Amino acid sequence: MPIEFVKDSWPGTVRTVTIGATSADGGTRTSTVTVGGQKALPFMHFEAETPYSPVVAIEILDRRPDNWSPLLSETWGEVMDDPAAWAKAAEEAGADMLQLTLSATNSEGKETEPEEAVASVKAVLAATGLPLIVFGPGQAELDNVLLVPIADATKGERLLLGICEDKNYRTIVAAAMANDHLVNARSPMDVNLAKQLNILISDMSMPLDRVIMDPTTGALGYGIEYGYSAMERLRLAALQGDAMTQLPMLVTPGFEAWKTKESKVGEDVPEEWGNWMERAINWETLTAIALLESGADILVLRHPESVRRVKVAIADLMTVPELA
Amino acid sequence: MALSGIQIYKMLPKTNCKDCGFPTCLAFAMKLAAKQVELSLCPHVSEESQAALSASAAPPIRLVTLSSNGHEVKAGNEVVLFRHEKTFYHRPGLFVRVKDNEGLDQIKEKVAEADAYQVTYVGIDLALDGFAIEAVSGEPGAFAEAVAAVRATTERPLVLISSDPDSIAAGLEAAETTGTLIYGAGQDNWETMVVLAKEHKASLALSADSLEELAELTDKVKAAGVEDLVIDPGTRDFSASLSYATQIRRLALKKNFSQLGYPIIVFPGESTGPEQESMLAAQAIAKYAGFIILDHFSAETVYPLLVLRENIYTDPQKPIQVQPGLYEINGPSAEDPLLVTTNFSITYFSVANEVEGAGLPAWLLVTDAEGMSVLTAWAAGKFDAERIAKDVKQFKVAEKVDHRHMVIPGHVAVISGELEEELPEWKIRVGPRESVDLPIFLKQAL
Amino acid sequence: MAQHSVSFDVASEASTVPTGTLLTEAAQQAGVEIDQPCGGQGRCGRCMVQVTDGDVRRRSTLRLSNKDVTKGFALACQSVVESDVVIAVPPQKKVERRLSTDRTVAKVTVPTGYDYLQDQIIRRINLDLRPPSMDDQIDDWNRLQTALRREPFLVFADKGSSESGQFPPQLEISLPLMREIGRTLREASWQVSAILEINSQPDGKPAVARLIDLQAGHVDEDVPLWAVAIDIGTTTVTIWLVDLKTGEVVTQVAEYNGQISRGEDVISRIIFASKNGGSDEMRRLILKTVNALVKRACKRAKCESEKIMKATVAGNSTMMHLLLGLPAESIRLMPFVTTVNSPPALRAEDIGLAIHPEATIDCLPGVASYVGADISAGVLSSGMDDDQEVSLFLDIGTNGETVLGSHEWLVTCACSAGPAFEGAGVLHGMRATRGAIEEVWINSRSFEPNFRVIGDAKPRGLCGSGLISLLAELFLTGLLDKAGNFNSSRPTKRIRRGEHGLEYVIAWSEETQNREDIVITHVDVDNLLRAKAAIYAGFTVLADGVGYPLEEVEQVLIGGAFGKYINVEKAVEIGLLPDLPWERFHFLGNTSVQGAYLALLDREARNRIQDIAGRMTYIELSADNSFYDAFTSALFLPHTDLDLFPSVVKELKKLEI
Repeated sequence: MPIEFVKDSWPGTVRTVTIGATSADGGTRTSTVTVGGQKALPFMHFEAETPYSPVVAIEILDRRPDNWSPLLSETWGEVMDDPAAWAKAAEEAGADMLQLTLSATNSEGKETEPEEAVASVKAVLAATGLPLIVFGPGQAELDNVLLVPIADATKGERLLLGICEDKNYRTIVAAAMANDHLVNARSPMDVNLAKQLNILISDMSMPLDRVIMDPTTGALGYGIEYGYSAMERLRLAALQGDAMTQLPMLVTPGFEAWKTKESKVGEDVPEEWGNWMERAINWETLTAIALLESGADILVLRHPESVRRVKVAIADLMTVPELA
Repeated sequence: MALSGIQIYKMLPKTNCKDCGFPTCLAFAMKLAAKQVELSLCPHVSEESQAALSASAAPPIRLVTLSSNGHEVKAGNEVVLFRHEKTFYHRPGLFVRVKDNEGLDQIKEKVAEADAYQVTYVGIDLALDGFAIEAVSGEPGAFAEAVAAVRATTERPLVLISSDPDSIAAGLEAAETTGTLIYGAGQDNWETMVVLAKEHKASLALSADSLEELAELTDKVKAAGVEDLVIDPGTRDFSASLSYATQIRRLALKKNFSQLGYPIIVFPGESTGPEQESMLAAQAIAKYAGFIILDHFSAETVYPLLVLRENIYTDPQKPIQVQPGLYEINGPSAEDPLLVTTNFSITYFSVANEVEGAGLPAWLLVTDAEGMSVLTAWAAGKFDAERIAKDVKQFKVAEKVDHRHMVIPGHVAVISGELEEELPEWKIRVGPRESVDLPIFLKQAL
Repeated sequence: MAQHSVSFDVASEASTVPTGTLLTEAAQQAGVEIDQPCGGQGRCGRCMVQVTDGDVRRRSTLRLSNKDVTKGFALACQSVVESDVVIAVPPQKKVERRLSTDRTVAKVTVPTGYDYLQDQIIRRINLDLRPPSMDDQIDDWNRLQTALRREPFLVFADKGSSESGQFPPQLEISLPLMREIGRTLREASWQVSAILEINSQPDGKPAVARLIDLQAGHVDEDVPLWAVAIDIGTTTVTIWLVDLKTGEVVTQVAEYNGQISRGEDVISRIIFASKNGGSDEMRRLILKTVNALVKRACKRAKCESEKIMKATVAGNSTMMHLLLGLPAESIRLMPFVTTVNSPPALRAEDIGLAIHPEATIDCLPGVASYVGADISAGVLSSGMDDDQEVSLFLDIGTNGETVLGSHEWLVTCACSAGPAFEGAGVLHGMRATRGAIEEVWINSRSFEPNFRVIGDAKPRGLCGSGLISLLAELFLTGLLDKAGNFNSSRPTKRIRRGEHGLEYVIAWSEETQNREDIVITHVDVDNLLRAKAAIYAGFTVLADGVGYPLEEVEQVLIGGAFGKYINVEKAVEIGLLPDLPWERFHFLGNTSVQGAYLALLDREARNRIQDIAGRMTYIELSADNSFYDAFTSALFLPHTDLDLFPSVVKELKKLEI
């Protein structure tokens, strides 16, 4: 008796979102990234075609970070002093797109000025043709001060701008709307909060195909299960037809994993943790893989080796197996 | 199909006799619906209802237990596809494989190292579950020696891998204990393997070329008297493994397809090198594996896998908690303010986000309030002076900050006096009631 | 330890206290009364005093502006003495004396078919005893019993079970009354009137009758037989004076619970009661309120309080414990267990209630720590326990209690909504008394408000219904987004940045009683959202828990004093009440006192309430995550799942056009 495979048919579809614009579309990018469009749970190819592969972004900063793990500093080396050079190196490392994080202070310790931030973004845009995500320092007021002029100065590039949160979304959304950019809607690991923010953004008349949701995650060992389940629930809701959750998801396993002691620190840690470098890479890749399984569309990573490995896994997951 | 509390209630006696230990029949029915109690607690339920209710309670995936010398590893009995729907119950067993041609000393060394491996994560000691020995030499005697060498080194459960019944027979003898898993039986050898499994009270892993053949095989083996089965869909990559594991779980749960209602065994190391192995094993942990056989053992790989397994198998119905401790926000110095809150994750996040978002450096003492928010915890006596004082000492707050000023949430202003009594060196300041007011408070009041 | 002198401007002598003493403690020592409505938690700001010389260490300056602090103001319950100080105590605001509803209440209809002889267990019986003689030396008590046994009125002509009426009841009497009977009988020349309470027993055992009073002479049948139904609410105490002969409610009186000065919510009261002497103080305060109300009711009805022969009491479990002087601490601590859910019958004198000392005090049964007798009584009076259809019963107050069910099953839960809807915890919140804004309308173009004030006065603040309607209006006009953030880009000067972030000005200082702007702040909005989310989440979890779809609920019954003022439309718009057709909502008023009244009148109703309490299944919301999930989902205007609020979606669409 042949087995009848269980194929769910979902009424909903995740929206298709394109980041970056080529010259034909009013931007200067040489490539763009399109994510979303799923009609089934991640990689359930037997149910529906997965139109777009998940992508990997590499996180770079506008200046050498103060508190990154030495493993990262050693790997990237001198390019960290120049965002343009760093962007090029990240492209070579295989990034599908870049995520530029603006620092709260410049290298002299003074608060980053809008002009400096705009210059950094422009330098990165000039250095590579990859689509770009720009995140503010994560402080509401400063984010607004920096992102508005960036949005103005890069009109038409279809940048993905963040961090857009429920207490601070109006300014960023308005700036993105006026300049043909996208926003990254971040909420703290909760299916309701994620949806609420999407509603708020949509209420401002922002088209939802210019919104990526960022449900946040904890790293492996630091609450990954909450982000994991929030993402599964969000994707299930989207497929069940809830329009306000039908957005591709971005997560930052690189940021989360490299914050943990396991990745960041090599000395005075338990011997049972094993080799530092390999452990750190595992921490980042395992966090990324788990989130990929739960529905991530854009994974922002930090280490080139993790990027290489995760891309291999994604390529494999995108192959369509023959079920028998 | 799962029944709702009301549906079950209608089948109960409705006498509220309390003999089951619950105040009303409905309370008991709701516990039954949540699969938190057994129907047998009700002495008065009719036979008819009993039959109807136990059918809905039968686990769709068989629980398979491997054991030896007091060690046990269980897989199966899962009831959901997604952990948020209820929880995942039985952590997949993690095994390390050795081969009988590796040389006995090397085998012993490898097994000894992995067997001794133990790591602590949030106060829990984590370790591997057992070992797999594969017969590649083709000689039953050599296999038996290898198994004996492993058995002499570890007390944990074993998986014996060979398609040759003679090797398995020799291995089972050498393994001495019952509770082993035989891998495996296929179309050609299942009849002999069944005999061995029965004789040694072992579980049996089956593989076939397709799910259809696999289902037919489990039927035949079950009919022959072995019910503790484990199945291998045969895939070794990411994509097909995920599809098959999902199908098997869905068929069992949604279609009650009992021929595939067994735990899955996976071999993530067989595709490529150790780099892929850890990622494939991670996928297997998240997506439905029952037993995971690793080909490489290293602390830096096993530690994250063990942690991931803990995380995925955490009960999501419990309140979301953060680890109690002293948290740093925006790289504080010893002079920066000290705030106290509870370990309910949303409480923690609101406080941490406000302070972090305002760019203010501070120390945040997260106390163990059993995952309750400030007001609830205080009302329930889980966020009182005594508990805060205990955590101030436990997390050595006085060693990290130079000053002795502590900001407590405005909602618990009432405990400031008691807290000063518990911590005579400290001066208590009452912060705002809402975290949204924290930045202003920190800027103006401190 | 160093001692300091604390002088109060209103006290003749300074008190001397050690370092670290709270100003409130120093005041108590000096005999100075300082109100602490929040129970000394630093929440209400009502204990504000001014330090005129020296200084104190302020642990908390919540509720004080920076200007206040500069002027020397401090919260007495949050400030400790560390040097000699002189303190000025501002005149204490008394809690508004009389509730506005007290005399304006609607007349209560006596339940149809009420039959004193059939339903009532308190009986007044005129007796003519044969005087004793040398031939008849039977003792007084026996003589009385014999006479009583002959009375046919002591036997219920039973409705249901035929058993309890078969035997003459067994008689009981207390020692104090025994001491009196001989004298009464002789003084009255063996013509007396006896008051008895007859309780039937299960399993056909003879009923038990207890002699409550023996009065000289006969009493006319039409003279009232008095009793009271009492509801002890956390905020308000209500008493109905009832003539048991007719069943009529002769007078209704209500007053704020005197314990308010020691804490506004149950948790604060429990904490206060657990402090040294706190329990006695709480008991004293509630008795003071109840006894004063009894007196007031008696005055109106021109009766003597000693003529009240029974009291039936409803109230939440905490109030019941505090009334009886039972330790309440375990109610608040996990696993949230009471001393007793269903107290036995007690004597008035033992409790300290100033009615007839022998009168029975019948404390109605509750279900759990946070679902008390007020809810059992509410369910009884709503009749949902007898209904074929499923009803949802809501008691909206500090604790939002919910009951869902029908004649077949009943489930209940309680959620801590906080006192926001009672005006507490909101900057310009107040109770529904004179000067409270009770309804607000906002023009969707000019963003100018219009409001109605209780009692034809200048506004002083906003009461619960005012807050609900304000919230709904702010939301519908787009001044608030769905998350409750103010939209500062709207062209109105009424949205401005205040000490607590953005706020909306409802009334400018020149229009108000206190000459200060009445505003609603971002923090207030958050508090209100949380309160409404907790209530909504409570009943959704309840419905999910038993697997009953909320939209199929036949009727929504709203009880509690607050229920009377709610505007359904507004409450649905903010997502406090489910979006069901309006005709399904019924406002029942104070269901707790109504239930107590029914139980007082009718022994069948009293049995039913016992049954209700026994079969209500209590769901503990803190036991798992589903409540939290439902709560965050409801923490949005009107709700994260807009499909649940189709009428609000329609309304919003209309406003967009």
